[in-house]
Amino acid sequence: MTTAISVTGLVKTFGPTRALDGLDLDVTAGEVHGFLGPNGSGKSTTIRVLLGLLRADSGRAVLLDGDPWHDAVELHRRLAYVPGEVTLWPTISGGEAIDLLGRLRGGLDERRRADLLERFDLDPRKKARTYSKGNRQKVALVAALASDVELLLLDEPTSGLDPLMETVFQECIREVRAEGRTVLLSSHILAEVEALCDRVSIIRLGRTVQSGTLAEMRHLTRTSITAETERPVTGTTELPGVHDVVTEDGRVAFDVDTDHLDGAVRHLTGFGIRALTSQPPTLEELFLRHYGDELAGAGAGDGR
Amino acid sequence: MLTGTGGLARFALRRDRVRLPVWVLAVAGLVTVQANQSLELYSEPGALASYEQAARGNAAIIATTGPPVGLDTIGGAVAFELWSTVAVVVALMSMFTVARHTRVDEEAGRTELLRSARVDRHAPVTAAVLVAVLANLAVLVAVIAAGSAAGLPVRGSLAFGAALAGIGLVFTGATAVAAQVVEHGRAVYGLVSAVLGVSFLLRAAGDIGESWVYWLSPLGWGMAVHPYSDDRWWPVVLCLVVAVVLVGVAYVLVERRDVGAGLVQPRLGRARAPRALMTPLGLAWRLQRGAFVAWAAGIAVSGLAFGAMAPAIEDLIVDNPELQTYLDEISGGLVDAYLVVVLVMLALLAAAYGITAVLRARGEEAAGRAEPVLATATSRPRWMASHLMIGLVGSAVVTAGGGVGTGLGWALAAGEPDQLARVLGSSLVYVPAVWLLVGVAAAVFGVAPRLAAPIAWVALAYCVVMGLLADQFGWPESAGALSPFQHTPQAPAEVVTGLPLVVLVAVAVALVGAGLGAFRRRDLTT
Repeated sequence: MTTAISVTGLVKTFGPTRALDGLDLDVTAGEVHGFLGPNGSGKSTTIRVLLGLLRADSGRAVLLDGDPWHDAVELHRRLAYVPGEVTLWPTISGGEAIDLLGRLRGGLDERRRADLLERFDLDPRKKARTYSKGNRQKVALVAALASDVELLLLDEPTSGLDPLMETVFQECIREVRAEGRTVLLSSHILAEVEALCDRVSIIRLGRTVQSGTLAEMRHLTRTSITAETERPVTGTTELPGVHDVVTEDGRVAFDVDTDHLDGAVRHLTGFGIRALTSQPPTLEELFLRHYGDELAGAGAGDGR
Repeated sequence: MLTGTGGLARFALRRDRVRLPVWVLAVAGLVTVQANQSLELYSEPGALASYEQAARGNAAIIATTGPPVGLDTIGGAVAFELWSTVAVVVALMSMFTVARHTRVDEEAGRTELLRSARVDRHAPVTAAVLVAVLANLAVLVAVIAAGSAAGLPVRGSLAFGAALAGIGLVFTGATAVAAQVVEHGRAVYGLVSAVLGVSFLLRAAGDIGESWVYWLSPLGWGMAVHPYSDDRWWPVVLCLVVAVVLVGVAYVLVERRDVGAGLVQPRLGRARAPRALMTPLGLAWRLQRGAFVAWAAGIAVSGLAFGAMAPAIEDLIVDNPELQTYLDEISGGLVDAYLVVVLVMLALLAAAYGITAVLRARGEEAAGRAEPVLATATSRPRWMASHLMIGLVGSAVVTAGGGVGTGLGWALAAGEPDQLARVLGSSLVYVPAVWLLVGVAAAVFGVAPRLAAPIAWVALAYCVVMGLLADQFGWPESAGALSPFQHTPQAPAEVVTGLPLVVLVAVAVALVGAGLGAFRRRDLTT
């Protein structure tokens, strides 16, 4: 088996709202797959369909070679889920909730449970009602990570964690990947996805707008260049693939399509480069490109 | 110091725009029904005097209603018969109103959001108290209107309404304090209900023994108004003073605690789950056991009180020909007829428990707590069945507990030990009808989860109205044909036949099956 999740043309409507509108998603076994999109783009709905909690209106979804709706119980033995908004039973302690969820899933690795509690610095004796959002999330994370499962479905699992715990989380996910397990990580924290994911799918308004490795996507983006030169730079705006040129006393700054980087740098050398900084494109920019038209609609974008 | 109170109070009134009128209209309805009935019952000369005599000599009646004061007027009789019921209704109205807008909101995190705006820390509690004060004023107006409309003296109705509002205000204050002390909305309800229960017992004990003990109970202060006879005002003032002091205490406590925290720190739990918790049924039982114990105990104790009154029924009824004809319609001996009414009432309460137990599944789903469980290897039917199991087995046990209480009360009061088994056996006859109502809740939960609570409660209310009140309104029997209690043999007054019970169980099973099937096919919704 090489495909862990395969989704094609998934549609799910809630009354007049089209939450998923022909979504595609492919996750290869053993990879950490980033699932990116703004709030309300359909990430959680997709995950709920994959869990058999919601029934898709049309489209095909295959999860670990099974049907997420019909084979739900069997599939759930092989996966663990962390919801975006973790609600726990107020009178049940965190430790009890971890054991309960682990047992219902089919068992926990005791050693890993103890190790995770320590690393996440979680007091398992506290009743869930006294936990903060971050601590409730840790409970769900420990329960999921300590389970012996092949697939982890994580729905914005770090939205309540502090930076220290975020680092612990990233370590844990790297370990999970080293063990050959598969992770679908939904997020809108780009740095996290950049740090962890092999491949990414970006969705918007219930559709997949782009999918691939980070290297493949960077290909589609621009590099930011800032240069100080001996002579004032001229003619930059006429170069192919160059955008947003700003020139001021001996400094020039612009963005260039990655395909045209070579030409732009050659052009600069003709003016005697004193200093040159180039910033590789970030997911942030990938993101902005996909939501750029929304920003433009709001009057804040540059229309690209 | 009270910045934001007005806005919060208006918002609270808007959120309660259905609830509060329902409470107030319920009070007005009770007064109207009781006043019309009493005016009709006691219109004959001498009827009132014989009623007074019967009431004075009967400790059980005094325990459940109140001191036999002012029974020489029809208004006094109305107040006497209604007092404890309506006072409890008004106390609960005040409790729910204040708790909803203080601790329940705070627990849900809504208060925190509001407090970050231009809202003073005293504002939420002040707004909640204001709304409760308005509700109690509405009760006062409603009682005056209902009483006067029925033909009772206006001054007496004013005193009656004021006494009720006074009680409501005391419980408003008590709830405001409780909401500062404990951290959990449910705990506020528990604490205030316990105060109400103790108040009821102290008043009952004080009234029976004609001792000062009833002065320890706010319910006793209200009754000391003696509406329609003495129309005393100072007990109302006493209620007001106590209410103001309690609200003052709540204000002081607000200053001494953090948002979201109480004054009582919660204890730590277990680090590891016990084996018994780690199944869906174990989880459902853990979530529901507290409520089960409370309902079972409450219904068994009520049964005990009603059962203990059974031997006195004969004496009472001889003096009350109207009640006699009412009970005669049920056929069988007088005491058995009384027992039918008691057992049906307790079974309806048991059905209410069963419905809350099944609706807990909906609560879990709506709160998002079903999702993590259903994302494990737990199937939909198994998860839902765990809550259903508690609703079905629990409601049967609660029904039987009511039977044991009633039987025991009677056996002890009359010195006839074999009554226990007989009454317990009779109570079990009502279990299929209880299950059918639980089945309705299960079916609607499966098919239309958002409507589960309203439809289940309407079904129960229908059975209550048809079972206990239809005679009073003079409705035809066919109006209650959909109530399972209509088709249940009226044990112990009637001979029990198996067929209706088998049919009721079959319908209940079909409803439960439909619910399980539908839940398997639908989306989870919040």
